[in-house]
Amino acid sequence: MIELLSRTIMMGTPLLYGSLSEVYAERSGVMNTAIEGIFLIGAWAGFVAAYQTGGNLLIGLLAAIAAGVLTAALYGWICVYLKQHQIVTGVAINLLALGFTAFFQRVIFGVPVTPLIVQPLRPIAIPFLSDLPGIGPILFNQNILTYLLFILVPLANFVLFKTALGLSIRSIGENPEAGDVAGVRVDRLRFLTILFAGVMCGVGGAFYSIGYLGMFTTTIIGGRGWIAFAICFLGNWKPLGVLAGTLVFGLAEAVAIYMQSSGASFFPNELFIALPYILTIVLTVARRSFNVPAQLGVPYRKEG
Amino acid sequence: MNSKLRDFLVTNILAVVLGLTASGLLLLFLGENPLAAMGTLFGSLFRDSYTFADIFVKATPLMFTALAFAFTFQANLFNIGAQGQFYIGAITAVGFSLLLQDKLPGLLVLIIVLVLTILFGGLWGGLIGWLKARFNANEFLVSMMSSYVALNIMNYLLRTLLLESKGEYPQTNPLDSAVWLQTIVPGTRLHSGFILAVLSCIGIWVLLYKTPLGFRIRAVGQGKDAAEMAGINYKTLYVVAFFISGALAAIGGFTEVNGVQHMLVQGFNPDIGAAGIGIAILANGNPIGIIFAAILFGALKVGGTIMGQLSGIPSSITELMLGFVMVFVILAYFVREKLEDNREKAKLKKTTVNA
Amino acid sequence: MPAAPFVELRNISKYFAKVVANQDVSLQIRKGEVLALLGENGAGKSTIMKVLYGLYKAEEGQILLDGEEKVINSPKDAMRLGIAMIQQHFALVQAHTVTENIILGLVRGRFDRKHYDKIVAELAADHGFAVDPAAVVSELPVGVQQKVEILKALYQNAQLLIMDEPTAVLTPQESDALMNFMQQNTRAGKAVVFITHKLREVMEVADRIVVMRNGRVVGDLRKEETDEIELSKLMVGREIHDRTYVQDSGFGSRPVALELQNVSLREPKEELFRLKNISFQVHKGEVLGIAGVSGNGQDSLCDAISGYRRLTKGKILLNGENITAKSVRERIQIGIGYVPSDRQRYGLIMSMKLTENMFLKRSFEEVWVKRALIDEPKLDAYTTEKIHTYAVKATGPDAVARSLSGGNQQKVILAREVDLGSEAIIFDQPTRGLDLGAIEHIHRTILNEKEKGKAIVLISTELSEIFGLSDRIAVIYRGEILGIYKNRELDTEKIGLLMAGYTPGTAPETSQPCEQ
Repeated sequence: MIELLSRTIMMGTPLLYGSLSEVYAERSGVMNTAIEGIFLIGAWAGFVAAYQTGGNLLIGLLAAIAAGVLTAALYGWICVYLKQHQIVTGVAINLLALGFTAFFQRVIFGVPVTPLIVQPLRPIAIPFLSDLPGIGPILFNQNILTYLLFILVPLANFVLFKTALGLSIRSIGENPEAGDVAGVRVDRLRFLTILFAGVMCGVGGAFYSIGYLGMFTTTIIGGRGWIAFAICFLGNWKPLGVLAGTLVFGLAEAVAIYMQSSGASFFPNELFIALPYILTIVLTVARRSFNVPAQLGVPYRKEG
Repeated sequence: MNSKLRDFLVTNILAVVLGLTASGLLLLFLGENPLAAMGTLFGSLFRDSYTFADIFVKATPLMFTALAFAFTFQANLFNIGAQGQFYIGAITAVGFSLLLQDKLPGLLVLIIVLVLTILFGGLWGGLIGWLKARFNANEFLVSMMSSYVALNIMNYLLRTLLLESKGEYPQTNPLDSAVWLQTIVPGTRLHSGFILAVLSCIGIWVLLYKTPLGFRIRAVGQGKDAAEMAGINYKTLYVVAFFISGALAAIGGFTEVNGVQHMLVQGFNPDIGAAGIGIAILANGNPIGIIFAAILFGALKVGGTIMGQLSGIPSSITELMLGFVMVFVILAYFVREKLEDNREKAKLKKTTVNA
Repeated sequence: MPAAPFVELRNISKYFAKVVANQDVSLQIRKGEVLALLGENGAGKSTIMKVLYGLYKAEEGQILLDGEEKVINSPKDAMRLGIAMIQQHFALVQAHTVTENIILGLVRGRFDRKHYDKIVAELAADHGFAVDPAAVVSELPVGVQQKVEILKALYQNAQLLIMDEPTAVLTPQESDALMNFMQQNTRAGKAVVFITHKLREVMEVADRIVVMRNGRVVGDLRKEETDEIELSKLMVGREIHDRTYVQDSGFGSRPVALELQNVSLREPKEELFRLKNISFQVHKGEVLGIAGVSGNGQDSLCDAISGYRRLTKGKILLNGENITAKSVRERIQIGIGYVPSDRQRYGLIMSMKLTENMFLKRSFEEVWVKRALIDEPKLDAYTTEKIHTYAVKATGPDAVARSLSGGNQQKVILAREVDLGSEAIIFDQPTRGLDLGAIEHIHRTILNEKEKGKAIVLISTELSEIFGLSDRIAVIYRGEILGIYKNRELDTEKIGLLMAGYTPGTAPETSQPCEQ
């Protein structure tokens, strides 16, 4: 049980990186539909940099962030400044990311004979706290990226609701003209939230390659970016809401992994693999009162 | 030729060229000569009739998935789940073909299988439309997720019910040649599914632009409130649009199974949905344009694969090319908007100066 | 007397993709002065002020402040220079509170909500505005929303306040209060620019008047030197005919066509009723005017009659037949036409051709279908004919609705609805935002249809339109009909009080309404 909950937190970590940043982007009015591609690029860049530096995970992480930001910048440029369609652009960038990572994985490593691996991030047991019964091993025997979220979630909540920056972000997602008239530079701020998403999703992607599996394949993300995207909807565009959503999905994934590894199961494996996706559909349908930012997905065009 | 159509053709051709150039330049990392590689890519297409016909073989399912995206797009709905609907079609086609091939004449089986494919694919897609209409569920997310669900259904069935008799690989038994889609050019793989695809494009064009139903679908897409005020029930149309869309993608699965693969193998054509979206936007959502855009993408796929075989360039170059082409096509939309804007402005300045 | 100009605009030109908005516009704004910027819709008044406020970038020209040239690239620059602008369509975030809207863009770092709530409350009290800082904007009446906009400008301590058509959403009494505020503001040495197309208001409040037409300045006058007749000539560029229409008083003897009985409407999850117990009859050949400040249930009334929303209570009858249960589609078929106020959203599909827009409400009629396909030649011919009859300026039936001017778009809707509405037609704000030529045309059409014996409901916030066309007038306030009067029983004063919610007997002594 403790093992399962600990895994829940772990599997929720990358999703939370993605969905937190999605909250910011969508609050400002831009859907980050390149999220799946940015996750993939992050996973790939993180792995390559770590592998090439002999397993230096910090460099891997930085490379993942850089690659994530670059991809996000391309997406943001097209969607925010050139005002092109967000869903269509996202599909294009995701496909590009897939081709790009597959191609360069081959360019760099050729066709490897033995599997390429790095030693992934290790859990760090926090002295004293990790010895607490129950929550100790669940919360305080995780890796550094998870701990970082202990700070990031409350911080994201604080900035969004208690600061001028947060007010500006929320305003331009509801009514960009109001922001514009009040002196907020709408496109620039929207672009910045997308870059932020690049950082966060880069890290989220790298979590899969160098934080958990220690390897890279082009199917490593397998739609988890989209799940992070969905969590943003289900969490009602609130940092604390997506935290709750993440735990649900983390649990679903932990259960799936547990069931697969336990082997003996009445239900087919595929059901558990599909569980997070089915859950998304069910929750999307069941979800009632939405706080959708009024101008979500609509580029801000003004004449002149 | 009017200036808008000219812009459309020029910018899109440019986008394709730039997309190929960008991916060509990446070949330098492999130490390959991009020009030579591109020469191989296009040259190889014409080396024999088999290869040339393969362009149209590859284009066939792409037309269907592109139509699937373009059709709901007309209703301002996003069907990102063509991949899954394609798989549902493939499963239906292979399942019922295997079931019926010994019992009924081939042609009859094909017709029954086609109808069932339309039915199952349509229901799978229509369900998304229904969730949208009934619960206002986000169809973008639901359709996206439904693809992963369909994939897992396929994987499960390939492991159990549909598993080949040898039980070695996750794939089905091969189909009897009686239930293959007929080859239309001897000595090639080109099958009658291609004709079906082209006819579907034309049919969808007629449906959208010439019939009251198509008009209503477009009206809901372009002005939902005005359409509702005109007594048009958008909820019904959401279901109808998604049903047709799902059926189209599923037919793609049918033509691929009964026309090309003649069996179902795990993990086949994994990016056919995304490529379909690319084709749809390259064609600006126009069903007739989709015929040509799909043939272009088909050529890139065939050429890319041969290039890989001949010069050791990884086959992922095709995805890279498709991705780059899509990005540039989107940029082309922006360029066209700018051109149109400037033209209007220039016209205006001229008239005010003359006034 | 005002001294050197505070703001000077020199030779500003601005082109949009489709229209010239400003050509070579020069004007001056002085401290201690209310400058009225007068012109018809589309004359370029808002555009020139948006250039000054940094929302638009001018192609040519200079902006001078206190004699010094300034570059204003964004509203932020303008705000820094002491310029505030209240947009015609309020730029408020509906989902946020009053305070959040006021401090948007004006605070840095962390902010303490309570602290700013207090500051806003004090500011409001100083100016006699009763506004709750913690209230969510979407729940406030439009009149109060405008006060929020004004408070935002006051909070910035702006030296120049630009107001774009501020009285459009106010009752006559509220407008008076606003004019008072403008004059007080200039007495304190500040400048006000007041954009409007209403002559009466200009003569009431302005010190100086700049008249614009077709993107150019055509007059710059002191109020004392001019009068309404001269101004209207400048504004329109020709003499305008006095718009009085002959009233037909014989409607009462004709049968009732459209009838509402105790109609109430409430949104599923809302407490508040959008419509409360509304009853009225419209006879054949009668125009029933519905007067009221916008946002008092007019939209819901249209929704109820057109069938767009189901009634919570009550009945609707057409020629004695109960049509309450009929859908939008069925109501179209039995001859109810509807010209919606938001024509670009509810009336037309902007990206579609005129033929398609004419076909919009007819897609279920079999006469337009031939062998399962749309009968295009027939539709083309029909549309072409309508283009001629209604003098729609368009390149042809294949023109896209978006490419037409507002007035011509409205004519297309009129052409369609007049044909469809064989029994009754609802006109919701049929002339809003249109120029005088188009307005005249539309008024003629309404009276023509009335002559043909149709029952007409005319919803308008323009009193001149209500008085000019209606046989009877009903006043709507917060979803209720406060009374139905014969046209001549009402004058501006009386209707103004009704529009502010004062029924006869409860009217206060002064004409100043209390703050909400």
